[in-house]
Amino acid sequence: MPSVTIPSEDLEKEGPIIEVHFLISLELEKKYLEEKKPLPEPVIIKALIDTGASACVLKKEIPEKLGLTPIGTTKICTPSTKDHECYQYFMRMVIPVQQLVYEGIFISAPLDGQEINCLIGRDVLKNGILIYIGYTNQFTFSLL
Amino acid sequence: MKMKIQKRKKFKGRKSKLIMVNVLSKEIETYEKNKQRLLKESFGKFVLIKGEEIINVFDTSSDAIKVGIDKFGNTPFLVKQILEIEPTQNFTSNLIRISTCLQ
Repeated sequence: MPSVTIPSEDLEKEGPIIEVHFLISLELEKKYLEEKKPLPEPVIIKALIDTGASACVLKKEIPEKLGLTPIGTTKICTPSTKDHECYQYFMRMVIPVQQLVYEGIFISAPLDGQEINCLIGRDVLKNGILIYIGYTNQFTFSLL
Repeated sequence: MKMKIQKRKKFKGRKSKLIMVNVLSKEIETYEKNKQRLLKESFGKFVLIKGEEIINVFDTSSDAIKVGIDKFGNTPFLVKQILEIEPTQNFTSNLIRISTCLQ
Protein backbone atom coordinates (compact mmCIF):
# COMPACT_ATOMS: atom_id res chain seq x y z
CA MET A 1 0.00 0.00 0.00
CA PRO A 2 1.92 3.11 -1.17
CA SER A 3 1.85 6.17 1.04
CA VAL A 4 3.04 9.77 1.05
CA THR A 5 4.32 11.72 4.03
CA ILE A 6 3.92 15.47 3.63
CA PRO A 7 5.69 17.97 5.87
CA SER A 8 3.97 21.29 6.59
CA GLU A 9 5.28 24.60 7.87
CA ASP A 10 2.30 24.94 10.15
CA LEU A 11 -0.02 21.95 10.06
CA GLU A 12 -2.33 23.38 12.71
CA LYS A 13 -2.94 26.54 10.67
CA GLU A 14 -2.96 25.11 7.14
CA GLY A 15 -4.37 21.64 7.65
CA PRO A 16 -3.34 18.57 5.64
CA ILE A 17 -2.88 20.09 2.17
CA ILE A 18 -1.63 17.99 -0.73
CA GLU A 19 -0.93 18.59 -4.43
CA VAL A 20 -3.14 16.51 -6.69
CA HIS A 21 -3.57 16.13 -10.44
CA PHE A 22 -7.04 15.80 -11.95
CA LEU A 23 -7.51 13.88 -15.18
CA ILE A 24 -10.37 12.43 -17.17
CA SER A 25 -11.35 8.88 -16.19
CA LEU A 26 -9.52 5.89 -17.66
CA GLU A 27 -12.72 4.83 -19.44
CA LEU A 28 -13.08 8.22 -21.13
CA GLU A 29 -9.36 8.31 -21.93
CA LYS A 30 -9.74 4.93 -23.69
CA LYS A 31 -12.70 6.33 -25.63
CA TYR A 32 -10.75 9.46 -26.64
CA LEU A 33 -7.79 7.36 -27.81
CA GLU A 34 -10.11 5.17 -29.90
CA GLU A 35 -11.64 8.28 -31.44
CA LYS A 36 -8.18 9.88 -31.83
CA LYS A 37 -9.25 12.89 -29.80
CA PRO A 38 -6.56 14.85 -27.95
CA LEU A 39 -6.38 14.19 -24.22
CA PRO A 40 -6.80 17.23 -21.97
CA GLU A 41 -3.82 18.28 -19.85
CA PRO A 42 -4.05 17.35 -16.16
CA VAL A 43 -5.28 20.10 -13.85
CA ILE A 44 -2.85 20.55 -10.96
CA ILE A 45 -4.28 21.97 -7.75
CA LYS A 46 -3.98 21.91 -3.97
CA ALA A 47 -6.48 19.85 -1.99
CA LEU A 48 -7.30 19.74 1.70
CA ILE A 49 -7.94 16.37 3.31
CA ASP A 50 -11.14 17.07 5.24
CA THR A 51 -12.61 14.50 7.60
CA GLY A 52 -15.61 16.83 7.97
CA ALA A 53 -16.58 16.28 4.33
CA SER A 54 -18.69 13.23 3.60
CA ALA A 55 -17.62 13.36 -0.07
CA CYS A 56 -15.09 15.06 -2.32
CA VAL A 57 -15.90 18.50 -3.57
CA LEU A 58 -13.95 20.61 -6.04
CA LYS A 59 -14.13 23.96 -7.78
CA LYS A 60 -16.37 23.91 -10.84
CA GLU A 61 -13.52 25.26 -12.98
CA ILE A 62 -11.68 21.93 -12.74
CA PRO A 63 -14.18 19.73 -14.64
CA GLU A 64 -14.67 22.70 -16.99
CA LYS A 65 -10.94 22.75 -17.79
CA LEU A 66 -11.06 19.02 -18.52
CA GLY A 67 -14.12 19.59 -20.73
CA LEU A 68 -16.24 17.14 -18.75
CA THR A 69 -20.01 16.83 -18.64
CA PRO A 70 -21.88 15.85 -15.44
CA ILE A 71 -23.04 12.32 -14.66
CA GLY A 72 -25.43 13.25 -11.89
CA THR A 73 -26.56 15.72 -9.28
CA THR A 74 -26.57 15.59 -5.51
CA LYS A 75 -27.74 17.75 -2.63
CA ILE A 76 -25.22 19.21 -0.22
CA CYS A 77 -25.52 20.65 3.28
CA THR A 78 -22.96 23.14 4.62
CA PRO A 79 -22.87 25.20 7.85
CA SER A 80 -24.70 28.01 6.06
CA THR A 81 -26.96 26.22 3.58
CA LYS A 82 -29.13 23.17 3.22
CA ASP A 83 -30.06 20.91 0.29
CA HIS A 84 -28.28 22.76 -2.49
CA GLU A 85 -28.16 20.79 -5.69
CA CYS A 86 -24.75 20.40 -7.34
CA TYR A 87 -23.38 18.53 -10.33
CA GLN A 88 -21.32 15.35 -9.98
CA TYR A 89 -18.43 14.40 -12.27
CA PHE A 90 -16.56 11.13 -12.73
CA MET A 91 -12.84 11.89 -12.63
CA ARG A 92 -9.40 10.53 -11.81
CA MET A 93 -7.32 12.07 -9.05
CA VAL A 94 -3.61 11.29 -8.89
CA ILE A 95 -1.22 12.15 -6.07
CA PRO A 96 1.97 12.31 -8.11
CA VAL A 97 4.55 11.69 -5.39
CA GLN A 98 3.73 7.99 -5.12
CA GLN A 99 1.24 7.73 -7.99
CA LEU A 100 -1.69 7.20 -5.62
CA VAL A 101 -4.80 7.03 -7.81
CA TYR A 102 -8.47 7.44 -6.97
CA GLU A 103 -11.16 7.33 -9.62
CA GLY A 104 -14.63 8.28 -8.54
CA ILE A 105 -17.35 10.86 -8.22
CA PHE A 106 -16.53 14.48 -7.37
CA ILE A 107 -19.06 17.18 -6.52
CA SER A 108 -18.62 20.55 -8.15
CA ALA A 109 -19.24 23.58 -5.93
CA PRO A 110 -17.88 27.07 -5.36
CA LEU A 111 -14.95 26.93 -2.93
CA ASP A 112 -13.93 30.11 -1.16
CA GLY A 113 -10.31 29.35 -0.25
CA GLN A 114 -7.83 31.11 -2.49
CA GLU A 115 -5.39 28.23 -2.34
CA ILE A 116 -7.63 25.22 -1.79
CA ASN A 117 -9.45 23.97 -4.86
CA CYS A 118 -10.65 20.61 -3.57
CA LEU A 119 -11.74 18.94 -0.36
CA ILE A 120 -10.83 15.27 -0.17
CA GLY A 121 -13.66 13.70 1.79
CA ARG A 122 -14.50 10.49 3.56
CA ASP A 123 -15.49 8.72 0.32
CA VAL A 124 -11.76 8.68 -0.52
CA LEU A 125 -10.64 8.13 3.07
CA LYS A 126 -12.72 4.94 3.30
CA ASN A 127 -10.14 3.42 0.93
CA GLY A 128 -7.11 4.67 2.80
CA ILE A 129 -5.24 5.70 5.91
CA LEU A 130 -4.64 9.22 7.24
CA ILE A 131 -2.09 9.67 10.02
CA TYR A 132 -1.96 13.21 11.42
CA ILE A 133 1.22 13.80 13.41
CA GLY A 134 0.68 17.26 14.83
CA TYR A 135 3.79 17.59 16.96
CA THR A 136 6.11 16.95 13.97
CA ASN A 137 4.00 19.07 11.54
CA GLN A 138 3.46 16.27 9.06
CA PHE A 139 0.83 13.81 7.93
CA THR A 140 0.85 10.52 6.07
CA PHE A 141 -1.76 9.56 3.53
CA SER A 142 -2.21 6.22 1.90
CA LEU A 143 -4.69 4.74 -0.55
CA LEU A 144 -5.53 1.14 -1.42
CA MET B 1 -19.15 22.87 -17.78
CA LYS B 2 -21.16 26.00 -18.22
CA MET B 3 -24.82 25.86 -17.39
CA LYS B 4 -27.18 27.38 -19.85
CA ILE B 5 -28.52 30.53 -18.30
CA GLN B 6 -31.61 32.13 -19.66
CA LYS B 7 -31.70 35.77 -18.69
CA ARG B 8 -35.16 37.22 -18.54
CA LYS B 9 -34.81 40.94 -19.04
CA LYS B 10 -37.26 43.18 -17.29
CA PHE B 11 -38.10 46.79 -17.63
CA LYS B 12 -35.70 49.63 -16.72
CA GLY B 13 -34.75 49.82 -13.08
CA ARG B 14 -36.09 46.38 -12.27
CA LYS B 15 -33.88 43.46 -11.40
CA SER B 16 -33.31 40.85 -14.07
CA LYS B 17 -34.25 37.30 -13.15
CA LEU B 18 -31.87 34.42 -13.79
CA ILE B 19 -33.35 31.04 -14.55
CA MET B 20 -30.95 28.12 -14.22
CA VAL B 21 -31.36 25.30 -16.68
CA ASN B 22 -30.06 21.97 -15.45
CA VAL B 23 -28.37 20.06 -18.29
CA LEU B 24 -29.69 16.85 -16.72
CA SER B 25 -33.27 18.08 -16.35
CA LYS B 26 -34.65 15.67 -18.96
CA GLU B 27 -32.91 12.69 -17.31
CA ILE B 28 -34.12 13.77 -13.85
CA GLU B 29 -37.66 14.07 -15.21
CA THR B 30 -37.38 10.55 -16.66
CA TYR B 31 -36.18 9.26 -13.29
CA GLU B 32 -39.03 10.92 -11.42
CA LYS B 33 -41.60 9.52 -13.89
CA ASN B 34 -40.29 5.98 -13.38
CA LYS B 35 -39.25 6.23 -9.73
CA GLN B 36 -42.04 4.13 -8.20
CA ARG B 37 -41.51 1.27 -10.63
CA LEU B 38 -37.72 1.43 -10.16
CA LEU B 39 -38.13 1.42 -6.37
CA LYS B 40 -40.24 -1.75 -6.57
CA GLU B 41 -37.97 -3.55 -9.02
CA SER B 42 -34.45 -2.34 -8.24
CA PHE B 43 -34.30 -0.63 -4.84
CA GLY B 44 -30.74 0.41 -3.90
CA LYS B 45 -29.30 -0.24 -7.36
CA PHE B 46 -28.00 2.36 -9.81
CA VAL B 47 -29.93 3.41 -12.88
CA LEU B 48 -28.39 4.82 -16.05
CA ILE B 49 -30.61 7.29 -17.92
CA LYS B 50 -30.01 9.19 -21.15
CA GLY B 51 -32.72 11.64 -22.15
CA GLU B 52 -36.07 9.88 -21.88
CA GLU B 53 -34.55 6.40 -22.02
CA ILE B 54 -33.71 4.15 -19.09
CA ILE B 55 -30.64 2.30 -20.37
CA ASN B 56 -30.20 -0.27 -17.57
CA VAL B 57 -29.88 -0.87 -13.85
CA PHE B 58 -26.52 -1.80 -12.26
CA ASP B 59 -25.22 -3.05 -8.91
CA THR B 60 -22.59 -0.29 -8.58
CA SER B 61 -22.34 3.34 -9.65
CA SER B 62 -18.98 2.78 -11.38
CA ASP B 63 -20.48 0.00 -13.54
CA ALA B 64 -23.29 2.34 -14.59
CA ILE B 65 -20.88 5.24 -15.27
CA LYS B 66 -18.52 3.05 -17.32
CA VAL B 67 -21.38 1.82 -19.52
CA GLY B 68 -22.58 5.43 -19.83
CA ILE B 69 -19.14 6.59 -21.00
CA ASP B 70 -18.85 3.64 -23.37
CA LYS B 71 -22.26 4.34 -24.94
CA PHE B 72 -22.43 8.12 -24.84
CA GLY B 73 -18.85 9.32 -24.42
CA ASN B 74 -18.43 12.76 -22.87
CA THR B 75 -22.07 13.85 -23.06
CA PRO B 76 -24.38 14.36 -20.09
CA PHE B 77 -26.12 11.27 -18.74
CA LEU B 78 -27.58 10.50 -15.34
CA VAL B 79 -26.47 7.80 -12.92
CA LYS B 80 -28.64 7.70 -9.82
CA GLN B 81 -29.06 5.35 -6.89
CA ILE B 82 -32.66 4.22 -6.63
CA LEU B 83 -33.74 5.28 -3.16
CA GLU B 84 -36.96 6.53 -1.59
CA ILE B 85 -35.24 9.51 0.05
CA GLU B 86 -32.23 11.03 -1.65
CA PRO B 87 -29.22 11.25 0.68
CA THR B 88 -27.42 14.58 1.12
CA GLN B 89 -23.68 15.10 1.38
CA ASN B 90 -22.55 16.95 4.49
CA PHE B 91 -19.73 19.45 4.84
CA THR B 92 -18.61 21.09 8.05
CA SER B 93 -16.16 23.37 6.23
CA ASN B 94 -17.13 26.97 5.60
CA LEU B 95 -14.90 27.03 2.49
CA ILE B 96 -17.91 26.14 0.36
CA ARG B 97 -19.58 29.34 -0.74
CA ILE B 98 -23.09 28.71 -1.89
CA SER B 99 -24.95 31.00 -4.18
CA THR B 100 -26.02 28.25 -6.45
CA CYS B 101 -24.09 25.12 -7.38
CA LEU B 102 -25.77 24.36 -10.67
CA GLN B 103 -23.84 26.86 -12.72
